[in-house]
Amino acid sequence: MSFLGIILTFSLVDNVVLTRLLGICPCVGAPGGMRATASTAAATGLLMSVSALAAWALETYVLLPLGLDFLKTPAFVLAVACIAGLLDLAARRAVPQLLRAAGVPVAAVAFNCATLGVVLIAAKGGFTALQSLVVGLSAGAGFFIALTVLTAIREKLDVEQVPEWLRGLPLHLISAGLLAYAFLAFDRAFLSRIFQGW
Amino acid sequence: MLVGLCPAAAVTGRVIDALWMSLGMAFVLILTSLSRVILHLLLDAPGSAGSGSRESGLLGSRWLGVLFLAACFTASFEVIMGAFAPQESAALGIYVPLLAVNCIVLERLADGSPRRAIQENGARIFRALGAAASRGAAFAVALVLISVVRETLGSGTITLFPLGAFGGTIVVSGISAAPARALLFAGGGFLCLGYLAGLVRLAGRLRNRRPRAAGEAGAQ
Repeated sequence: MSFLGIILTFSLVDNVVLTRLLGICPCVGAPGGMRATASTAAATGLLMSVSALAAWALETYVLLPLGLDFLKTPAFVLAVACIAGLLDLAARRAVPQLLRAAGVPVAAVAFNCATLGVVLIAAKGGFTALQSLVVGLSAGAGFFIALTVLTAIREKLDVEQVPEWLRGLPLHLISAGLLAYAFLAFDRAFLSRIFQGW
Repeated sequence: MLVGLCPAAAVTGRVIDALWMSLGMAFVLILTSLSRVILHLLLDAPGSAGSGSRESGLLGSRWLGVLFLAACFTASFEVIMGAFAPQESAALGIYVPLLAVNCIVLERLADGSPRRAIQENGARIFRALGAAASRGAAFAVALVLISVVRETLGSGTITLFPLGAFGGTIVVSGISAAPARALLFAGGGFLCLGYLAGLVRLAGRLRNRRPRAAGEAGAQ
C-alpha cells in the first residue's frame, strides 16, 4: 500500500474511533473544552505513532526471532505503557505550561484502547518500519479529527433544548453514531477513484 | 457512568460475540483483581522488601506490574478461546487483546491501595473477587442487552452457542425478512448505546418519582 493510501485509510476510511469504535471513552465522556480535547488528541496521536514504530521493532527483532509470538499482547501493552510514561515525563519537563493549560493528565488519557488497537492493527498489517510510523500518525490524525468534531458537536448540544432523558452522554453517543454513518461516505472505492493508484 | 464502552459498541453485532467478550472480561477482571491483592499483600507485608515503599501512581512500577499481569491473563484467554472457538476468536479480532487496557480493568488497577483494608480486614481477597465478579456480571448484562437489540433488529436473528440439535441461531420471524441492517454498522453501535443509556436514565427518574409521589400523597 502506498503512503497516500495508508494516510487516507487510517485517517478517514478506517477511522479508529468512528469505524473501529476504539477510544470512545475520551471521545464522549472526557470533560473539558476544545483545548483539553486538542491536547488529548495530539498526545494520543503522538503516542500512537511512537508505539506503532516501537511495536514493529519489538515484533521484528525480539518476538518473531525468539518464537514468542504468543506474548505479543503483554509485550505491546508494556511497551505502550512505558512509552506513555516517558512521553508524559518528557512533556512535563519540556512544556509544563501546556500541560497545565490542558488540565488533564495526558499520559493517562492517551493510554487507552485506541492506542493499543492501532499498534495491533499495524502489527497485523505486516507493514515496514516507516509504514508503521505513518500508520500511527494517520490513525492519530483520524483520532484528532473524530475527537475535535465530537467535542464541537458536544459543545453545541449542551446549550440546545433537548429532551431531559437524552441530555448529556446519551445524546453525545447518538451524535457519534450519526457522525459514524457520515464517515461511511469515505469509501475505499470512492477515494481510490479520486486518487488513482493509491 | 459508562466506562469500557469500546467493546460494547464494537462486538455487539452478534449475541455470541458479546457472550465470549463478557466471558473474557470476567476472566481477566477476576484474575487481575486477585493477583493485584496478592501482590499488595506480599509487597506490603511487614519486613518485606516493598514494605513502607511509596504507593506507585498511574504508570508507576507497581501499576505496570499489575498491568503486565492483566495483559498476560488476556493473552491466556486469547489462547484458550483460539483453541475452543477459533471462528469466534477470528471474528472478535483485536478486541480480545484490547481487554487488557479496557477502562474497567484499568479502573480496577488504578483503584487506591488496599493496604489499610488488608490490615483492617483479612477477607480482602474475597471482597476483591466479589467486586470483580459483580463488575464482570454487570458488563455481561449490558453487552448482552445491547447485542440482543442490535442483532434482532439488524439481522432478525439471535446467535447463541450451538447445542445438540439446536444449531445456535434463532430466527426472529417478521424482522428477518426486512431487518434494519444499518444497526450492524459502527454507527448502529453508538445509536443503540445512546438510546439504551437514555432509557436507563428515564427508567431511573420514573422510579425515583414514584416513591416521592407516594410520600406526598401520604402526607396529605
